[in-house]
Amino acid sequence: MSPGRVALRRAIRHGGFWIGGTIIFVIVLMAIFAPLLTPYDPSVQSLSEGFVPPVWAEAGSWEHPLGTDNLGRDYFARLLYGARISLGLGLLTVIISGTIGTAMGITAGYWGGWPDMIINFFITVRLTLPVVLVALVVVALIGSSLWLLILVIGLLLWDRFAIVVRSATQQLAQREYITSARAIGSSTPRILFREILPNITGPLVVVTSIEIAHAILLEAALSFLGLGVQPPDVSWGLMVAEAKAQLLFRPWMIAIPGAALVLLIFAINLVGDALRDVTTPEGKA
Amino acid sequence: MSDDTRILSVRGLNVQIPIPGSTLWPVRDVNIDVGRGETVAVVGESGCGKSLTALAIMGLLPRQAKVQSEALRLNAESLAEASPKRWRQLRGDRIAMIFQDPMTALDPCYRIGDQMCEILQQHRKISRSAAMKRSLDLLGKVGIPAPEERLKQYPHQLSGGLRQRVMIAMALLCEPELIIADEPTTALDVTIQAQILRLLRDIQRETNIGLLLITHDLGVVAGMADRIVVMYGGEVVEVGTCDQVLAQPLHPYTEGLVRSIPVPGETEQGEALGYIPGIVPRQVGERTACGFVDRCPYATSACREEPIAMRDAGDGRLMRCILPTDGSARDPDVWILPDETSAQSATNSGSL
Amino acid sequence: MLVYLSKRLLMTFLVIAVTSVIAFLLVHLSGDPAAAMAGEGASQADIETVRETYGFDRPLYVQYLDWVSRVVTGDLGRSTYLRADVTDVLARHLPVTATLGVCALGFALALSIPLGVLAALRPNTMIDRFSLWLAVAGQALPSFLFALGLMYLFGVYLRVLPISGSETWWHFIMPSVALGYYATPAIMRLTRSGMLDVMLSDHVRTARAYGLSPWRVVVRHGLRHAIIPVVSLAAVQLGFMLGGSIVIETIFSLKGIGHLAWESIQRADIEVIQAILLVIAVAYAVLTLLADLLNAALDPRIRIS
Repeated sequence: MSPGRVALRRAIRHGGFWIGGTIIFVIVLMAIFAPLLTPYDPSVQSLSEGFVPPVWAEAGSWEHPLGTDNLGRDYFARLLYGARISLGLGLLTVIISGTIGTAMGITAGYWGGWPDMIINFFITVRLTLPVVLVALVVVALIGSSLWLLILVIGLLLWDRFAIVVRSATQQLAQREYITSARAIGSSTPRILFREILPNITGPLVVVTSIEIAHAILLEAALSFLGLGVQPPDVSWGLMVAEAKAQLLFRPWMIAIPGAALVLLIFAINLVGDALRDVTTPEGKA
Repeated sequence: MSDDTRILSVRGLNVQIPIPGSTLWPVRDVNIDVGRGETVAVVGESGCGKSLTALAIMGLLPRQAKVQSEALRLNAESLAEASPKRWRQLRGDRIAMIFQDPMTALDPCYRIGDQMCEILQQHRKISRSAAMKRSLDLLGKVGIPAPEERLKQYPHQLSGGLRQRVMIAMALLCEPELIIADEPTTALDVTIQAQILRLLRDIQRETNIGLLLITHDLGVVAGMADRIVVMYGGEVVEVGTCDQVLAQPLHPYTEGLVRSIPVPGETEQGEALGYIPGIVPRQVGERTACGFVDRCPYATSACREEPIAMRDAGDGRLMRCILPTDGSARDPDVWILPDETSAQSATNSGSL
Repeated sequence: MLVYLSKRLLMTFLVIAVTSVIAFLLVHLSGDPAAAMAGEGASQADIETVRETYGFDRPLYVQYLDWVSRVVTGDLGRSTYLRADVTDVLARHLPVTATLGVCALGFALALSIPLGVLAALRPNTMIDRFSLWLAVAGQALPSFLFALGLMYLFGVYLRVLPISGSETWWHFIMPSVALGYYATPAIMRLTRSGMLDVMLSDHVRTARAYGLSPWRVVVRHGLRHAIIPVVSLAAVQLGFMLGGSIVIETIFSLKGIGHLAWESIQRADIEVIQAILLVIAVAYAVLTLLADLLNAALDPRIRIS
């Protein structure tokens, strides 16, 4: 049985994989079908209907199941549309950072020597720069937009990809079948794409899950500081930021988007841990 | 051997280790005695349970392993009921152990002198300077040149042979009654092996301690041991004095081992050496037949009917085999590796 | 050892040099600094005046060299908004952030190392599972949410801790916990895996075979080894905390450099921003350097070779 099949079989038996996977699946469905799940537009204000409490509170009603915010926007609708931003941003940034990091990691790990030293140096420099601060500076000075945010986060979070892919490639490059592939004259691109890349998917998938969570958290932090997602777009971090003033009186306004954020990150981490368990050899986890 | 000269007495020792889906039974019903001033060698190939037996005697097996014994005595004290605290008091003090790989057995983070003092001060109310003095004396005694400098060095600054000497000095710190040496020379260069063995033998004779020597190498045993305990598949299969066992092995497994080593002056160049076909099988569940039956060239249907009991073979010898003890019904060439040209004899030799 | 040290020092110097270029370029290329400084609604003529006054019209490399040559003498420039020397401003804010970082790291270590050790000594038991779940749950909690949660519980509901300011040590408790907990899962996992490995190592078996007390075996012969990589990680985490303190400082109104950075970004006070970027990067580089040296000091095999 191929390692991939083994990993798949073990994943199916892994509890964390199921719990996390189910939560993610539900959140993705809710994000995709947001317009069908709520009649409200998340950005339409209705000042007469501000601060409606959620349905479980005394004054709450099913009209606004999670209540409304200070501007009378439906909180449930904002939550659903916020999921679109968080998930989309997480995926898009990881495509950018994953491509950069994987390319750097494979280059460094496969060739070693000078390319390795230079790339290692860049990884060190990247780690030396404080992520939140750099992102804030760029977004503040260029002017914030969703695409810029995705680009900036993507350009900042490639370090872990590079580190993990580099060491995985280093281990592979010493194996005999890579040496023999070289010996029989396989072209370098062929070795990289046919022999190396398929064999580092295990760690790559694990890092991808970690970095999606990382990107979503970073977006939330930037939005919380007021320099991430800008209205009329909505994100969970922004919802927390806007509800910050209500900490004393309406703590649920922070708790609802906060809980959604925690649940999503928790689920992604759970799947990431499960993937790490099933892709690493027996015993060590 | 009378009871009062016996330092270690092990009766009916069993070790079981639960693994997913079943239970390994790597040591079963083992009896071993070591007397004062006696060297007992436990011999067998890897996986036969000899190291686990040693760790069980030291009380060092991992938590998951289940250890049972009818008796486990050090002098008159029963260790089977000893508290963990009592075990700790005995370890390093009354029983000491020397391990296989001196490269990793010492803690790389501490100086040799500190590691030795730590042990001595754990077991004795003694000042640090007195502990250092004793460590220095012992390093000199085990033949380490410039012992003052070695005390201040870290393990990685010493060669493998020197580190094993340090381990021996460490074992002697509290003047134990029993030293267990688990493959003490396997990890060393051949030239160093002989030195370490001679050192162990000299110290054992000088101090009159009991030495339990665990090895897979019959060559190591020859000049060292008073008695030999042969283990196979977690069981003791033969016990006798060194001369008896090497000159006239009783159990087919011992015979195979003896035939597989060259004898200086007798084995001629180009002459075939014996070998035992197959590998040690995994030890699971109760015995229903002789444990060696699948690899034994003498096996008969009787060997498969029930487990074989240990029996007296005369002259104080024990064996776990139904063959006659007088050496009849044996064929010394049965162990010789069949030539590729005479493939027919392979079937005759009854391997597997 | 000397070769290693000099290589490592050279590396640190290069990293700081490259980082300073990046910090400079970030501020100068992410838009027009003159326009940002002049503020919204400034006329083109105003912007040109600012450009000339502050020398933004010169080539970038000239501006960079000018900046660096002043920085190495300890002059980090002038804050246009605060009308003060950036060096003085930073000197006022740095102690707060340093205190916060050290307290946060202390909290993280005090929580994660004992948990990691216990989990490793009893793998697959309740304590192990508990700490693993704590780690997974902890990593899912954004620090700003955790900070708000702490604030609500201890500041609003129980009213036992102050919710803003930096006057007393009490003010540092919640921020330190909020900043430090995020580092605990990583430190705990590293401690656990290190302890799992070392407790199976030969020298620990030797220590047990010689009857050393469990405490000595675990701490002197176990943790002593497992802690070596944790030291590096802790230094790295402290560096991350300095950079990440911006969120926590703004929530708790701690007047550290994170808070200063956030305010300066909003005021487009670019000299302060690039100085903070540089200072945090230098702190990180120096911390990792110290970690490596400490590593070498802790492992005799590196120290004496």
